Amino acid sequence: MTSGFTLPSRFGLQGLGGCYAPETLLQPLLDLEAAFVAALHDPAFQGELKAELRHFVGRPTPLTPAPRLAAALGLRSLHLKREDLTHTGAHKINNALAQALLARRMGKTEIIAETGAGQHGVATAAACARLGLSCTVYMGVTDMARQAPNVARMRLFGAKVEPVEAGQGTLKEAVNEALRAWAGNCNKAHYILGSALGPHPFPTLVRTFQTVIGEEARAQALEQCGALPEVVLACAGGGSNGLGLLVPFLQDPLRRIAVEAGGHGAGLGEHAARLDGGRMGVLHGCRTLLLQDDHGHTAETASISAGLDYPALGPELAALILDGHVEVRRASDEEALEGARLLCEAEGILPALESSHALAVLPALAREGVTSVLLGLSGRGDKDLSTYQARTGVSA
Amino acid sequence: MTTPRTPMNPLLPFIMAGDPSLEALPGILSAARALGLEAMELGLPHSDPIADGPVLQAAAHRAIQRGATPRRVLESLAGLTDSPDLILFTYVNPLLQIGTEALVRLLAPTPVKALLVVDLPYGEEPTFEADLRAAGYPMVPLLTPTTTLERARGILADRPDPGPEAPFAQRFAYVVARLGVTGTGQGTDLSPVARRVADLQTLGARPLAVGFGLSDAESLAAIRALGATPVVGSALVQELASGLDLQTALLPRWTSAT
Repeated sequence: MTSGFTLPSRFGLQGLGGCYAPETLLQPLLDLEAAFVAALHDPAFQGELKAELRHFVGRPTPLTPAPRLAAALGLRSLHLKREDLTHTGAHKINNALAQALLARRMGKTEIIAETGAGQHGVATAAACARLGLSCTVYMGVTDMARQAPNVARMRLFGAKVEPVEAGQGTLKEAVNEALRAWAGNCNKAHYILGSALGPHPFPTLVRTFQTVIGEEARAQALEQCGALPEVVLACAGGGSNGLGLLVPFLQDPLRRIAVEAGGHGAGLGEHAARLDGGRMGVLHGCRTLLLQDDHGHTAETASISAGLDYPALGPELAALILDGHVEVRRASDEEALEGARLLCEAEGILPALESSHALAVLPALAREGVTSVLLGLSGRGDKDLSTYQARTGVSA
Repeated sequence: MTTPRTPMNPLLPFIMAGDPSLEALPGILSAARALGLEAMELGLPHSDPIADGPVLQAAAHRAIQRGATPRRVLESLAGLTDSPDLILFTYVNPLLQIGTEALVRLLAPTPVKALLVVDLPYGEEPTFEADLRAAGYPMVPLLTPTTTLERARGILADRPDPGPEAPFAQRFAYVVARLGVTGTGQGTDLSPVARRVADLQTLGARPLAVGFGLSDAESLAAIRALGATPVVGSALVQELASGLDLQTALLPRWTSAT
């Protein structure tokens, strides 16, 4: 029997991705792929999505020159793709809204989502409120504590936030619980996965709905600068932001760099850097680079940033990295905090801790002779104020 | 001519390896065999059991904490002959990390006869699956409430019945009784699964086991009445963890077999 999927489910030379899902979810995943393909070819869906992205999300987001930060670092030019200026404050809304529209089109009345930093949860809660869908968000208890403002925002939008106590209480456990909840209610509910991971077709779905970031940025760079930069740079947890920005630049003669969370050490359990520390494995429905122990059990991770604190790299981004299309750097917790400080003081923009990991590698790139960079500022840092205050000594 | 369907096996219990302890496992398997059980599912504890409810999640967690790694579990089964046929119930990543050759070597001296890999649809790891089947370890096909009859036909063909000479462990298809995850599920409505079992029985003479959400003697008897083997998992794991021995836990569920 063939799988029944029509889109490719594997990425790159090593065939990452796939659909390692329990049988209960296979038919829902087949139905989702069919609805997605139909929607992509339906001008009505495209028109609706475009209008919502413009009037509700606030797209296109600006490409902001950052001349003072560039000068301070010794770069000729630095441009920031401002996903922090979207409604709800991060790139997550691009995908959440599109999937919510898709769910409504499929006749689903309930939405399930997982969230790490809370940005995907907030975006999904907002999209559900806007479209009149009921929404349940699974969130690890550790993340609920460190991203409390986002928990409050989700609840204000009418979403139910389900605390997940298992394990480390972070994104991995939230995805486990969301997958279980979906298996129990897949007839009525759609699962809006927020990152470019999970079983096929999720990685493709999420990447497709996020590449608006890079498409806009590329056109804006050409229009505003007359040329493309030497480097396009984004942070990468699962990969929704990384792929969203980098994929539209794949055919261009420039360097594409994804930045992983270096946490507070190099040992297993002290970071979320999958390229060096990870091995090929299967987690949450896909084959990819995974932080795991010798027994195939998922390893613990650590990062100051809840949104990057995840043991697996999305399969398509992992494939692009392994096949040489995207470079990888890592930034430690301390370097990320320093990156945030630089941007705050030089440009008056408070970045999310996730985006700060991309900012953190700018000094090294400048030292290496890079002169122009386009950086994906994936989200705003209001949610991280308490961490910034605690770690930098700035008082309220 | 049709022969009346009688289940080859009136009960298929599930236990989690390493819970209550790996040391206790040979004794439990021996007791199971003494009870006359032909086959049994043995859970290999995993860190991220996405198809399991709270009871089996907690059991897996306890087992991992006590050092029940996949290799140690399989090594603890080596040489055991006083045991029912075992179906190893697990997730794909630990098996992939062991690798096909090492896995076959580890399985060879054990009573394991088949694998039930919850997150491995047919076709995702074709070489791995074909090599294991060739070595005598077929994958159990899973059929759920979302599996259409047409899809079921394909799944059963992909993972075929080796025929009546083969043991139950290598022949049966696993029918998931309800949406969601494993669990004790008091008051699971059995009428949908009764209809599904009847539909699936029209596809051939393959033995069927039904699990997820069955725990009390009445539900188990109702599944037997359909001509299928009931699986009891979470409830049994809970009872074993609380100190009950296998015989005491299974006897009330077993005697209703007649």
